[in-house]
Amino acid sequence: MEFNGDILTIDMSISMEEVAEFEEFVRPRIDYIETIEVEEEGALRSSALMSLLVSLKRTKPELKIPFLEKGVLVSQKYGTIHWICHD
Amino acid sequence: MTKQEQVKAIFIEEAGEIIEKLDIDIIRFEENCSDFNLLNEIFRGVHTLKGNTNAFGFTRLGEFVHHFEDVLDHYRSTQESIEEYNLELFVGSVDVIKEVMNCELDAIATLPQSYDGCLEKIKNLISIKKNKPSSSQELQESATELKDLALEFGLSCLEQQQNSIERSIKDAQAKQSEGLNVYKIDLTLDTDCYKRGFDYLLFLNMLAQKALLLESFFNMEGIVEIDSFKSGENYIGKVSVVVLTSLSRSEADEFFEFLFDYEYEINLIEPPVVEVMEAVVKPSVEVAKVAADSSASNSMSSKSTIRIDTFKLDELFDSVGELVIAQNFIAQNDKIRSIDDESINRTIETLSKITKRIQDRVMSLRMVAIKDTFDKMKRVVRDTSKKTLKEVNLIVQGEDTEIDKTMIDSLSDPLIHIIRNAIDHGLEADAAERIRVGKNTNGSVTLKAFHKSGNIVISVSDDGRGINKERVLAKAIERGVISGDENLSDSQIFALIMQPGFSTAESISDLSGRGVGLDVVKTSIEKLRGKIEIDSKEGEGTTFSMVLPLTLAIIDGMLVRTAGEIYIIPTLSVVESFRPEKEIVHVFKEKGEFVSLRGQYIPVMRLSDVFNLNAKRIEPWEGILVCVETEGGRIAILVDELVGRQQVVIKTLGKTLAMLKEISGGAILGNGDIALILNVDELRPLVEVSHV
Repeated sequence: MEFNGDILTIDMSISMEEVAEFEEFVRPRIDYIETIEVEEEGALRSSALMSLLVSLKRTKPELKIPFLEKGVLVSQKYGTIHWICHD
Repeated sequence: MTKQEQVKAIFIEEAGEIIEKLDIDIIRFEENCSDFNLLNEIFRGVHTLKGNTNAFGFTRLGEFVHHFEDVLDHYRSTQESIEEYNLELFVGSVDVIKEVMNCELDAIATLPQSYDGCLEKIKNLISIKKNKPSSSQELQESATELKDLALEFGLSCLEQQQNSIERSIKDAQAKQSEGLNVYKIDLTLDTDCYKRGFDYLLFLNMLAQKALLLESFFNMEGIVEIDSFKSGENYIGKVSVVVLTSLSRSEADEFFEFLFDYEYEINLIEPPVVEVMEAVVKPSVEVAKVAADSSASNSMSSKSTIRIDTFKLDELFDSVGELVIAQNFIAQNDKIRSIDDESINRTIETLSKITKRIQDRVMSLRMVAIKDTFDKMKRVVRDTSKKTLKEVNLIVQGEDTEIDKTMIDSLSDPLIHIIRNAIDHGLEADAAERIRVGKNTNGSVTLKAFHKSGNIVISVSDDGRGINKERVLAKAIERGVISGDENLSDSQIFALIMQPGFSTAESISDLSGRGVGLDVVKTSIEKLRGKIEIDSKEGEGTTFSMVLPLTLAIIDGMLVRTAGEIYIIPTLSVVESFRPEKEIVHVFKEKGEFVSLRGQYIPVMRLSDVFNLNAKRIEPWEGILVCVETEGGRIAILVDELVGRQQVVIKTLGKTLAMLKEISGGAILGNGDIALILNVDELRPLVEVSHV
């Protein structure tokens, strides 16, 4: 996880425990974050990360999360995953 | 042999070479799967094999190779990175090719068990690769497009997702073929699923391993805002999965057996009614491409080779030998030498040079580097490492060492035995055991070829446990191999493990430990007139050295004369040669003659004594002492004179002379004379002495 100015960068392959840490970090700072970048190296390890990103987007609709906005993830491990944010 | 049989024999030989090369290349590719030049090379081999197999009616092999070629073609043309599990499939495919080739040659009707499974996996892989959307970018664009359309038509999110699922089902149905099923699986995991160790991704991963096509749709509708959000709880209400797979309904059910019944629902989608359409035949770009690649491959193969029967090579050897004799006769003939004509002398000199060059070149024809054999061993190490679950680093040294081709052919099996033995029994049982004794987690096996004392040594060393001498002795006594009264040296104890039926392995594995492997290895090496030496230190590792004679190999020899006969001493054994001062030569009663050299007493060997030559006995200070390194230490061979140094080809001697262990072979000299090559390790002083 890296916080540079207004952009928070996280790895897609973070574990369940790291998602919880990320949640704790981001919860009090959501007002200051403008963009969350997800580094797509490695494979997604927990669907909780997707949930958390959607939750953040739902809480602050102007928050930019390019990964989420793609709506699709092609993975060797999981096939093709689609989602709709319902925003 | 009819013409057709001759052609078939050539095909079989060529196919064998291609398969052998595939076996090596696929392991090299596994080590560096970004080397697409190598992948191209593999593809070309498979392509050639396909053409040949079909031409000779080996249809079963032809079909397999055809599909394997398709997969390789996909990866080489797209340069897509190859998944690890598919690399494993490639390696397995080469194994199948080898086995099916044997079935075809022996006209065995039953194919190996792995054939169908491997072929199906290859076909599935092709199907996936050909039907997969080209990139995530493409999918993303498609998703955005659908979203825009949904907004335009005022569709709700749920309706959008439903449409996407239906499209996915249609896609899967379009790719469905015989034996494949399309399922729509709805997963509705509880909020506490993470605590129970479940995640939607877990099921997607399991399904993906058995699927040709897998699309999932996450319903994010129920996700709450951050104030109420807890990352330990699952808010994704439903995930719909569309999967194209060969799994049966009951097999699919097994994936979800630990979930509550209400958490999953599997629906088999019936195949659509197919409308009969007229197929549009597209011009075959692929064929043209393959043809172009094939011609490119021809132009790329820089090494132009022809096949020559080894019998013809032997004839050429003999003819060149005769040429050398004739040339030397001219050069040394007194009548010719007396002709006082500069142009004739110059011509004879030129002839001599050319003859020497031809001799050198012909000599090298049968010699091949041991590299190919060592390359094959990489596969052995890889497979044994996987079977034994031990991480092994293979270190290869001296792979350019040249050895006679006939000997190389007989070396593979002994090497495989020894390497498997080294990994299976030599190395520690696991990484934990290695760490406990202060070693790296990965075991190491070193494969080395080098010249020593006029021999070629091929050694296999491991850095494992070493041989437990006490255990070996106890076992040998228990089996009655020895009585227990003998006073055995370390090397004699280690040699016991090569006795027939001897095994110290506590459990017999399918790799080694049956007590027959090393016995077979010993016999094979002895057939090559070689020997095996074992050196081991407990806790540090073991080295098996196959010491092979240079039969038919080029040897650099020192020519010496004694009692009017010429002998050849392998130069690699020679340490120095000198005429000794009278003062440094000593005679010890009942121990023989010694020369004192730099504080060391070296026994003097007289060849006239060894070979019972009827010659005038000279004193050591009247002749030359050639000091050589032997297994038993240094010895000084007394000769009348040094004649010179020459590269010679060892010729095997007849059965009678072969019994003389002091001689390792014979050689035809430039002047046509025959000289014997000394086996210095077998030259022993008349009385065994310990070196001071």
